[in-house]
Amino acid sequence: MKYDVVIVGSGPAGCITARFAAELGAKVLIIERRQEVGVPVLCGEGVSKKIDEFNILEGTKWIANSMDGARIFSPDGTMVKLAADMAGSETGYVLYRDIFDKELARGAIKAGAKLMLNTCAVDILKEKGKINGIKAKHFDDIIDLEADIVVGADGVESKVGKWAGIKTTLKPSDLETCAQYTLSNIDLESAYCDFYLGKKIAPGGYAWVFPKGKDVANVGIGVLASLSKPGLSTLLLDKFIKSHPGLNKGEPIRFLAGAVPVAEPIEAVKDNLILVGDAARQVDPITGGGLMASVEAGKAAGETIGKAVEEQRFDKEILSSYEEKIEKTLYKKLKRNYVVKEILLKMEDKTLDMLADSLKDYKFDELSTLSLLKALVSKHPSLLIRLKPLLKLSKM
Amino acid sequence: MGKPKALIDNHKCLSCGGCISICPKDAINMCSSKAYVSKEICTDCGICIQICPIGAISSEVY
Repeated sequence: MKYDVVIVGSGPAGCITARFAAELGAKVLIIERRQEVGVPVLCGEGVSKKIDEFNILEGTKWIANSMDGARIFSPDGTMVKLAADMAGSETGYVLYRDIFDKELARGAIKAGAKLMLNTCAVDILKEKGKINGIKAKHFDDIIDLEADIVVGADGVESKVGKWAGIKTTLKPSDLETCAQYTLSNIDLESAYCDFYLGKKIAPGGYAWVFPKGKDVANVGIGVLASLSKPGLSTLLLDKFIKSHPGLNKGEPIRFLAGAVPVAEPIEAVKDNLILVGDAARQVDPITGGGLMASVEAGKAAGETIGKAVEEQRFDKEILSSYEEKIEKTLYKKLKRNYVVKEILLKMEDKTLDMLADSLKDYKFDELSTLSLLKALVSKHPSLLIRLKPLLKLSKM
Repeated sequence: MGKPKALIDNHKCLSCGGCISICPKDAINMCSSKAYVSKEICTDCGICIQICPIGAISSEVY
């Protein structure tokens, strides 16, 4: 059986691409190497409320908690609060990512996509030099899955891009290496997602506390891989929890490790192959958040594929409109935030304290990295002179 | 006796994929639910050992 498109990976990027392509009539197959969609969870589980605008999720079972905003703590403990103007207005969610991913998969299947579990891509298929599908392992069987378009939605460790000749290997300074507990029995009365900065807390990254309920939270840490040592993320996470009143009596009900690309987006279209999500490094380099990027890019990829199938054209020319669709929006933001990440990494703790102190009473108009950056530039125009032209360019 | 290579402790590995994304030789794969090193390709550069968030990788002669 031949498909219009075979998508490797059933995470959000893969399933959203599948959904939008299938809605336009494309014959879509998603393959997933694991036996269950959404498991194991490899995520801090925070997402902006902007996800509602995409209308891709039904019900509320995927929501663990609604958040009023975010608080950033500088190394000396100075707090900057980013909240929506009006009290009670939600700005984001903490998710049950396993349920969230299954809901997205359900949406893709409802739109007509097929999903094969326990099916691991092992190579791309080629005929006369042209990519024409995916070779996969389904238990002990090797199967050829022919398709006009191949999508690599295979995460940070993407192999699909490599097989097609796209350089996906990350530099250590472009990877956050993470550890996270879901802690129960903690004392937390907050409707905020908290971020803790400082070289001693998390070199080149941050620690986070995302409440999933009144006594449960995801507590995690990300360390820049170039500043890491074996097992450092876990060691620093244990230290953070121990020193944190309210958390140090908690018991973990889940532990996970994660790897997050904090790189610039890479070439995402090669001939009739597309990369999407973490595989295309579509992650905010400042926050390490990738869900909204995957949603936005997945929609653009799915729509492009739908059009390509309709026109029966599977060349780079038509598929490049996927990148063009996100160039002025998503990519502009990711590229800007990559520059910001590089600036932030060079800052000493005392500079971060000074910046936080100048913003501690600031009223933000919205919760976004852009509003935070605008506030920083307005307070410290000379210190952040490199940022100024970037802010003019982008409205995201 | 062979040269040392990276060895992933399968009992510890939580399949985050960090080592795979960073390996300059593309020597690590994860078709089952754990990462494993192709020892014919690994040059024991040590980068995966340094970045593993749970310290599940070591350099071993095997």
